[in-house]
Amino acid sequence: MAVASQSIAVPVRAHHTLWGDAIVRLRRNKLAMAGLAFIILLSVVAILAPLLTPYGFADQNYNDILQGPSWKHLLGTDQLGRDTFARLIYGARTSLSVGIFTQFIVLCIGLPLGAIAGYAGGRTDNFIMRFVDVMYAFPDLLLVILLSSVFYGTKFGGSIYMLFLAIGLVAWVNISRLVRGQILSLKTRDFVSAARAMGGMGRYITWRHLLPNALGPVIVSVTFNIPRAIFTEAALSYIGIGVKPPTPSWGAMIQDGFNLIFAKPYMLLFPAIALALLMLSFTFLGDGLRDALDPKLRR
Amino acid sequence: MKPLLQVSNLTTHFDTQDGIVKAVEGVSYDVNVGETIALVGESGCGKTVSALSIVRLIAEPPGKIVSGEVFFEGADLLKLSQDEIRKVRGAKISMIFQEPLTSLNPVLTIGRQLSEGLEYHKQLSSQDAEREAINLLKMVGIPHPETRIHDYPHQFSGGMRQRVMIAIAIACKPPLVIADEPTTAVDVTIQAQLLELIKGISREYNTALILITHNLGVVARYAHRVFVMYAGKIVEYGTALEVYHRPLHPYTAGLLASVPRLDEPRKTRLLPIKDQPPDLIALPPGCAFYARCDHANDGCGSKKPVLMEVAKGHFSACWVAQKGLKPWQKKSS
Repeated sequence: MAVASQSIAVPVRAHHTLWGDAIVRLRRNKLAMAGLAFIILLSVVAILAPLLTPYGFADQNYNDILQGPSWKHLLGTDQLGRDTFARLIYGARTSLSVGIFTQFIVLCIGLPLGAIAGYAGGRTDNFIMRFVDVMYAFPDLLLVILLSSVFYGTKFGGSIYMLFLAIGLVAWVNISRLVRGQILSLKTRDFVSAARAMGGMGRYITWRHLLPNALGPVIVSVTFNIPRAIFTEAALSYIGIGVKPPTPSWGAMIQDGFNLIFAKPYMLLFPAIALALLMLSFTFLGDGLRDALDPKLRR
Repeated sequence: MKPLLQVSNLTTHFDTQDGIVKAVEGVSYDVNVGETIALVGESGCGKTVSALSIVRLIAEPPGKIVSGEVFFEGADLLKLSQDEIRKVRGAKISMIFQEPLTSLNPVLTIGRQLSEGLEYHKQLSSQDAEREAINLLKMVGIPHPETRIHDYPHQFSGGMRQRVMIAIAIACKPPLVIADEPTTAVDVTIQAQLLELIKGISREYNTALILITHNLGVVARYAHRVFVMYAGKIVEYGTALEVYHRPLHPYTAGLLASVPRLDEPRKTRLLPIKDQPPDLIALPPGCAFYARCDHANDGCGSKKPVLMEVAKGHFSACWVAQKGLKPWQKKSS
């Protein structure tokens, strides 16, 4: 039997760390690796965008409006004669940076607040979590509208940074709830009392002993939240309160295409496919990470 | 000589839904420099709680140290501020826990967990702390400590992990180590090794040891003095040999009779103590052991016995023993 011969063959024990194990398991997951490959590819394309296309994302050419795909314009042009391929890869910059920087904001707010609430408990916990509840009840759409009207006319209004802030300010509540739950269950574990018996301070124990243990679920949640943030940005741009034109955004491109859906369907198709692929990639990667970081599935 | 640690009248209660659990009720004991004492008793008799109360590691709420004094190096530990007690924990009094499997952080390397105490209490640089960590691992008998400090707890066996726990506990060379059932979670072949290790270290550094255990065999071999606890109180104490050979409390005698011994004929039956320990929420008015005692007489059920010196240096809280009778000793010899 194959299993028996295998167990005899490996006397040398490999040096496994927690993260090493997780990476090995992640690499076995084909869908997750495909997702990761697409994300990396798209990131490279987004970074190297100026080298990959001769057109700028805002270059208008009224001689070539509403062209179909051709060698001159790989994915055609829109109603202002702008190259769709150029706008698509520059738009990837918008989508990816929205996905990543909102999560950065989310982590900066959600992680410490959740950790403090979980470790301190009592009144502090209650206060923070009620604040989280209020933020949770707040619709992100409303907050973005609010922010854009507050900053209307200034440089900040309608910029991508405002979107980071708006999406980040709403999305951190999930992470803080997750972290709090993790800390609550971790802090009753024996190694926490052992650390306290060694003279450890609450703050130190939370940072040094508890958060690393909670990191797995946090990474998974962040990976799942990235496509959500990307989609939120696309949705906001679709209804016209996202990034200001001419900055390309897949959501705005879908909106442009939607107006001409019967005449020029590919205008809608290309950004929609790109958006769907990117969201799927992050979701598959998140799935793979969740399985890889789950110690119960360790083989 | 002044004792290193003097616990007097320590009382710790837990406030639960069903009522106040009197886990530790007026316990007093002392530990001299370099001495090993044992706290003995069955599960739930307050051994661990009394030890945890010394360094104030009782979760509050629901726990509360109601009264008592714990004098250690001239200060009452129960009156120290949070910052001050933190400087005592680990540096002056450290603990070895029962479960080596769960008492180590699974995501930090052994070296990291060993050196953090050194960095915090002794202000060592991280290089010095790592060097010291390697020394400590060598001392507790872990092979290849230079490479092993980069390993994670799950790469160690249970016995090895308990050795690491011991290394962490002695890292700052504290004058007092509390070992809370250090050998319960490992198998018998390792138990003796670990105890020898702990004992050897305590001899080498003149470390006092509070050994919490329910294994009377361990007590006889390693402890100088024994404190037997029952239902939150100390019911008997004396030198290990005295308590082992001439128990002055029927509970101690019962504990001894319920442990298998090699020096008795093979057919000798083990005698378990009948029934269960009393409910710590509603203790009986008289002696807590009354309901389970074979030698009780009428007075035992109504009046609480107090500790009195029955033989020289050997105290017992038993009305029968205090009258000079020891029916349980005749039976066992």
